[in-house]
Amino acid sequence: MSARTAVVKWTVIAALVAVAFVLPYVLGSYYVSLLSIALVAAILASSINVLAGNAGLVSLGHAGIAAAAGYGLAWAYRQGWDLWGQLGMALLMTVVASVLYGLISMRTRGISFLMVTLAAGMIVYGIAYRWSSVTGGTNGLPGIRRPAGIAEYWQFYFLVLLAFLIVTIALIVVGRSSFGLTLKGIRDSETRMVSLGYNVPLYKFGAMLVSGAVAGIAGVLAVWHSEFISPVAAGFQESAMSMIMVALGGIGTVLGPLVGAGLVVAFQHMLSSVFERWQTLLGVLFILSVIFAPQGIVGGVSDLVRRIRRRSGTPPREVLAVQFHPDPQHRDTSRKDK
Amino acid sequence: MSGVFLLQQLLNGISFGALLFLIASGFTLVFGLMRISNLAHGAFYLVGAYLAVVTVAATHSFWLGLLVGAVAAAVVGLGLERGLLRRVRGREMPEVLLTVGVLFVIADLVLWIFGGDPKSVNSGNGAPSGALVIGDFTYPQYRLFIIGVTLVIGVALFLAQRYSKFGAIVRAGVDNREAASALGIDIDRVFTWVFVLGAALAGIAGAIGSGLLSLSPTSGTEMLLYAMVVVIVGGLGSITGAAVGAVLIGLIDAFTKVLFPEFAYFTIFAPMGLVLVFRPQGLFGRAA
Repeated sequence: MSARTAVVKWTVIAALVAVAFVLPYVLGSYYVSLLSIALVAAILASSINVLAGNAGLVSLGHAGIAAAAGYGLAWAYRQGWDLWGQLGMALLMTVVASVLYGLISMRTRGISFLMVTLAAGMIVYGIAYRWSSVTGGTNGLPGIRRPAGIAEYWQFYFLVLLAFLIVTIALIVVGRSSFGLTLKGIRDSETRMVSLGYNVPLYKFGAMLVSGAVAGIAGVLAVWHSEFISPVAAGFQESAMSMIMVALGGIGTVLGPLVGAGLVVAFQHMLSSVFERWQTLLGVLFILSVIFAPQGIVGGVSDLVRRIRRRSGTPPREVLAVQFHPDPQHRDTSRKDK
Repeated sequence: MSGVFLLQQLLNGISFGALLFLIASGFTLVFGLMRISNLAHGAFYLVGAYLAVVTVAATHSFWLGLLVGAVAAAVVGLGLERGLLRRVRGREMPEVLLTVGVLFVIADLVLWIFGGDPKSVNSGNGAPSGALVIGDFTYPQYRLFIIGVTLVIGVALFLAQRYSKFGAIVRAGVDNREAASALGIDIDRVFTWVFVLGAALAGIAGAIGSGLLSLSPTSGTEMLLYAMVVVIVGGLGSITGAAVGAVLIGLIDAFTKVLFPEFAYFTIFAPMGLVLVFRPQGLFGRAA
């Protein structure tokens, strides 16, 4: 990346963050709380994205981890525990759920991973649904008030925004660490990493713990937002929706989860008042994006930007590429893989 | 536990297992040949079930309902395979994501058209109903009917796979797709037929299952989940595995519903967890 594009990029990011902090002073409470919902959904989507983007493992059960954390918090709240006790319980449940997910999924990949995480999510759903003496069954656990300091909707928005920024930065760091690079190696060729001596299941287990921690944060924030949790929070619908957010936004991109979450939440809460079949529309949009824009919205847009820039002026890196591969045919095929 | 009660629970388990086999066999057949984890399989169940309910209510013929359900599911399957999956053939993730999208759309459309209230196929209308009574022992005939239908279908599948030319082609495709197509087999056409067959099996399962279980727009994902547990336990791609896994899960489900009702849903996942830890390829699956 040239120095000029770096400057542009950081200016845009700074501007976006500044706008995000100013929004609650401009928008009404309804829209601010919609933004909170979108950001919480984006955090959960990020937890799926860290696995999908780095390790190539697409989960269809992450709502289960988030719900486990949420139930931990809600249960402790109703026992009359203080805030730290509640958060401790949420943390404990997050760890338990992540370890469970990790243990049963660490030897799988691809489709098997997807199916196993789906089943793990349904286990959490089943427990939440059946163990009614603790979880309240279908009725769930209502009346979970937010602690003082974030009780107002705009205070809560700032907390969620901060959480999203921290999570996003932390996941970028994880992705660039040697741990993240090892995961990418596993994604690209598992057999190669095994023969290089890496303990592949252990790395997948570790990735699940990192991802689970993020999902747990989303779970706690979701309960604080709605002041309520029920088995629906762990259901297939919820997990599938989060996965759709990631795939729509763009697997492995930094902004993908946010863009996907924003779009889905807009469909769910704004389009639904005009058009009842928003879910069908979302499904069709998703199918189209899988066929025509497999790298998602963010991936597609950045591809487009790259292509436009290539046409208007050739950056130094492209010149190098041309020098190494003077045969235009060769150059084209190498592009297609990207 | 008396002997009669035990026998009833045993039959409950086997009949539910029979239904699970109908769903899981199509799922595992498609996976074995095409390496597609078709999550839209749950949608085929929904299509078969709702159309059977509507047809039986209108014509008072169970068998016509079964036929319409199976054909409708097969047609939807044909559309999905030819219209969508073909465009992303060979790319594992897009294939699964596509089927998730289709499941989403069909479940929502079903909710729109038929509403969210639970439905079921009217009993009778040519299908066995009432109870079988032998001394102390009474048992619903419909459940025995399910076992019978599944035995017929299962044996037919087995024989077709073992002895028919199409079966040989499918087995060749499972073993080595490239070699099969190099020998002049139109593997794309085989894919389509197997996919349609799997969809029809799910449609039949839906039509029969809606006489046994209550039917709602979420039934699709529930049955899909059962089917997945069955094939994970039995081994992806194996019909024998699907049969053994289905009966095993059916029996576990029936007995734990009586013994530990609080954890009935949970216990079907215990064998799955054990299999994943100790034999990740499933009881009858081949090592990946």
